[in-house]
Amino acid sequence: MAKIKKEKEYRVHLMVCAGTACVSNHSFEIKEALETEIKKQDLDNEVLIVTTGCNGFCERGPLLVVQPGNIFYQTLTTKDIPHLVEEHFLKGRPVEKLMYIPPEEKTPIPVLSDIDFFKKQVLIALRNRGLIDPEKIDEYIARDGYKAMAKALTSMSPSDIRSEIQKSGLRGRGGGGFPTGLKWEFVSNAVSSNGNVKYLVCNGDEGDPGAFMDRSILEADPHSVIEGMVIGAKAINATQGYAYVRNEYPLALNRLYKALDDAREYGLLGKNILGSGMDFDIKIVRGAGAFICGEETALLSSIEGRLGEPKPRPPYPAEKGLWGCPTLINNVETWANIAPIINRGAKWYSHIGTETSKGTKVFSLVGKINNTGLVEVPMGITLREIIYDIGGGIPGGREFKAVQTGGPSGGCIPKEKIDLPIDYESLSDAGSMMGSGGMVVMDEDTCMVDVARYFLSFTQDESCGKCTPCREGTKAMLDILTRITKGEGTDEDLTLLEELAVSIKDSALCGLGKTAPNPVLTTMKYFRSEYEAHIRDKKCPAHTCRDLNVYTIDEDICVNTGHGCDLCRRNCASDAILGERNQPHQIIQDKCTKCGVCYDVCKFGAVKVD
Amino acid sequence: MVNLKIDGKTIQVEDGITILQAAEQQEIKIPTLCYHPLMEPYAACRVCVVESISGKGSELVTSCNTLVKNGMEIQTASDKALFARRMNVEMLLAQAPAAVPVQELAKELGIEKTRFKIKDPDEKCILCGMCVRACEDIVGASAISFLQRGQHREVCTPFGEQSEACIGCTACAFFCPTGAITVEDLHGRKVIHSELDLGPSTAIRVPIRQAVPMVPFIDEEACIHFKTGECKICSDVCQKEAIDHEAQDEEIELEVGSIILASGFKSFDPSLIPAYGYGRLDNVITALEFERLVNASSPTGGKILLSNGEEPKSVGIIHCVGSRDENYNEYCSRVCCMYSLKFAHLLKEKTSADIYDFYIDMRCFGKGYEEFYHRLLHEGTKFIRGRVSEVSDMALSKEEEGKLIIRVEDTLIGVVRRIPVDMVILATGLEPGTDSNQIAKVFNISCSQDGFFLERHPKLAPVSTFSDGIFLAGTCQSPKDIPDTVAQAGAAACEALALADKGKFDLEPITAEIDEELCAGCQICVGLCPFTAITYDKEKGISEINDALCKGCGTCVSACPSGAAQQKHFRDKQIFAEIEGIFIE
Repeated sequence: MAKIKKEKEYRVHLMVCAGTACVSNHSFEIKEALETEIKKQDLDNEVLIVTTGCNGFCERGPLLVVQPGNIFYQTLTTKDIPHLVEEHFLKGRPVEKLMYIPPEEKTPIPVLSDIDFFKKQVLIALRNRGLIDPEKIDEYIARDGYKAMAKALTSMSPSDIRSEIQKSGLRGRGGGGFPTGLKWEFVSNAVSSNGNVKYLVCNGDEGDPGAFMDRSILEADPHSVIEGMVIGAKAINATQGYAYVRNEYPLALNRLYKALDDAREYGLLGKNILGSGMDFDIKIVRGAGAFICGEETALLSSIEGRLGEPKPRPPYPAEKGLWGCPTLINNVETWANIAPIINRGAKWYSHIGTETSKGTKVFSLVGKINNTGLVEVPMGITLREIIYDIGGGIPGGREFKAVQTGGPSGGCIPKEKIDLPIDYESLSDAGSMMGSGGMVVMDEDTCMVDVARYFLSFTQDESCGKCTPCREGTKAMLDILTRITKGEGTDEDLTLLEELAVSIKDSALCGLGKTAPNPVLTTMKYFRSEYEAHIRDKKCPAHTCRDLNVYTIDEDICVNTGHGCDLCRRNCASDAILGERNQPHQIIQDKCTKCGVCYDVCKFGAVKVD
Repeated sequence: MVNLKIDGKTIQVEDGITILQAAEQQEIKIPTLCYHPLMEPYAACRVCVVESISGKGSELVTSCNTLVKNGMEIQTASDKALFARRMNVEMLLAQAPAAVPVQELAKELGIEKTRFKIKDPDEKCILCGMCVRACEDIVGASAISFLQRGQHREVCTPFGEQSEACIGCTACAFFCPTGAITVEDLHGRKVIHSELDLGPSTAIRVPIRQAVPMVPFIDEEACIHFKTGECKICSDVCQKEAIDHEAQDEEIELEVGSIILASGFKSFDPSLIPAYGYGRLDNVITALEFERLVNASSPTGGKILLSNGEEPKSVGIIHCVGSRDENYNEYCSRVCCMYSLKFAHLLKEKTSADIYDFYIDMRCFGKGYEEFYHRLLHEGTKFIRGRVSEVSDMALSKEEEGKLIIRVEDTLIGVVRRIPVDMVILATGLEPGTDSNQIAKVFNISCSQDGFFLERHPKLAPVSTFSDGIFLAGTCQSPKDIPDTVAQAGAAACEALALADKGKFDLEPITAEIDEELCAGCQICVGLCPFTAITYDKEKGISEINDALCKGCGTCVSACPSGAAQQKHFRDKQIFAEIEGIFIE
């Protein structure tokens, strides 16, 4: 054990968010500006600057939280810093204009925990977010880090650990929702063909568009994943673990590498962990960013250095996984949940959530929503609470239309089901799935056919091409959907689309193929009228499908309100608008490329789209 | 044993088999495309899907890889299974319309036409992975794999380049169910087609078509077995069990009474004469290359063609390349004139080309040779007396463009000429083998100044050497043509037989001897003896001469510091007495 030295004490701690979203919003420049300014004011013995992992409220970055006091500053720029340092840290007057103001309100909310976005969240997997520097193992330890591991290694037997996890009701957070404890039990009971070698894998190949839960956990709290994995290793008696993280996550990788090094140095990983006699180490395998490698058999192939393509199951990885040995694969978020369960007990954990789904789930909230970001909520919370209370509703006062959950494998849930309590079962009953936790909110301007087409283009591009239905079928579906969005669809297309969807769902080899038709099936189920409008009326109700739009100018408004301002004509790139000042303008349909510029520039609403 | 219900029939089958195997036992046919009994199930084509009904409901499973379970209920042709099967075949019909098994299966399932977009009407590959799995799992070569993913998936070698891992076993083509991979036998080398551009040489081959003995051999550098220890597919298929992978190279020691050396020659390397452009200019070839080209088993099948595949319209043959030239070899290689005439004759016979023969002087020394030369003169070969100074591709006039230009002084008319030709054949001379010095050392024989082995006497003992029982035959002794070589070889055989017949050989009367009293054991003589006739006796501490090996050269006698070595009949005393005798008068 390294010597623990007495840390210097500071009056104020400034927690600068250094998650990927805030970093790309220049949070490191904010940090530098703070450092210079604090030095200038001679406060460097009183104020400490800490870089933390993702705070979650990415919409409002770059973020700064002042402790003690939990004061929340947002959308900072380097120009704000001198004023902020002088006012708040020197004179003790918090700066109101840098605080968060909820949409359509006027008074700022100074304290983080009073903000709706944070109020309804329950943090287990993200327990340390925004509170510790992810690159400092001491800070993790100070927040009860590695306490659960010490407990598991010294006072629990492998079967104790497994039964605790089983009792907690934790289910796989990667998408499938398989009971974690049961999976551990299977791996523990499996007989290895090679001595008694078993492997343990952390699946960090997060690939759903718009999902970034795993990345944020690895960035904000890499040790929580490591601790979970060591406990898992003890439970199944494994000595080697692998963390499969995609190479597109450089910050997560760097922090994980650092965390592993630090843990080894502290004797928390490697040979004879904590003197318990247990050996376990973790190797990082960097994935090349293929979506299919998130599928467990493909992921294992990739670790083995082979082509990342799925294998038929059974045999499941729990029986025959990495190099033919029993292998326990869990997702990053699942691993992050292990330590709190061991620490606080299965009973505490199983109190949270619904009958079948226990605990919390991290969702990445994106799309047409005010508060984009990462949220951890208890199972059973309704969609309405997530979207309106935490997410702050839809921007611009537009109407909520649907929410897409589960990424390309999931489906769209319409507004009629907004009071649906979220758990594994309710989501799959609605035709969608929990997936890894992507939540894309859509408003009235979103065309559901186009959404389905987008997800299909993603899955057909990411299909490994091994099995016929996924390789050929998703392409055929995409072709049909593209035809429909161009107004070339027929009623037969709709039938064929449905047939294809059913056939692919039934006969594809792996989860990617089996779930690929979900976006189409759910949109057809809940928004069939939109499909029909595209096919029969050649119209896109949301005006998203460009080829179907027809732009016209209301001559009355143009002349009477706008006095023929001529702005549209001057902006039209294809010379499709005729007219001059004070005269009514007209669009020549043959020339119109439907770019929509005239619609955007007209200040009087004279340009109509139909 | 496992009990299950298949198409309404309750059956009992052994444990651990797949649904497909169980159905086969019941003579229920389930169509497959990517399944092969010799390979692990791949479950990619999804044509063999069947409906499995259980308490939880029904689901489609692929019969090729799903094992039978107690209480299972399987319907191989339920509506649900047939629907998915038809759909998948219809998709494959769009993806690989030219694949016959897919067409047949479609017909069987009542699909007349695919509703999906056909990308390539000639596509045959259905991406079933049989070739890839055969190459990896059965052969162990892993020369091909899938490249890209989804729509762009294709079978390919790494980076689409010729793969050194390919052993040319053609297993990929053998297993390919649609004929998307084909193999062509190109002049004894297997070339595998499709998009695969695989290596040209197989690990097992005969050296050349006219090899004697005509026996295939395993090229250890190309053979997968010698790289990985796997494969051995050749010995599995060889019915005569003639292949032994454990066979080792052996050294065999034979005791013989005499040895005939016939180690041959090395052809002169014409790239040493840069002016002739060999290796730099296309269509400048050596005599041996021309021999290969004109041979019936050559890559062109005996046709004389230029590198662009066209027949030459004019050919120049240059004599004395590397011979009769003080810069390279001063001697005459003796055979070049005659083989050049043969080439001219063959060219006349096989092509309609103009032939130019550049010679210094024509050496037609053998029986019928001069007559052959005269015949060539009548055939119309143009003989130009003069040494070629340069072969280039620098055209000075329109008619020279795209041709090789031979610059030569025609000494019969006294003019420097430029002759444009399509092909230049260099009549390269004969040189001693590169290892001739080493061989000479091993056999205790000498080399003449030009590097060829030295015979004991040019007239009286032309096949013997200074080492008894070692004889010479052929071009290792001097450049010579085939009749001369045969004659010399016959003579050498006779000499060897004469020795064997006698059963003994004559000792040299004049050998050296060592006086045991005087020898100090310095061993100077041991290293000097050119016939390794002297050995050192450790026990006695003196050197001893083997009379049978000693040739009486006297080297040891003159070198011995203590005067212990003396030549019989030529002792110091005797020599000094002779000298004294000369000076008496």
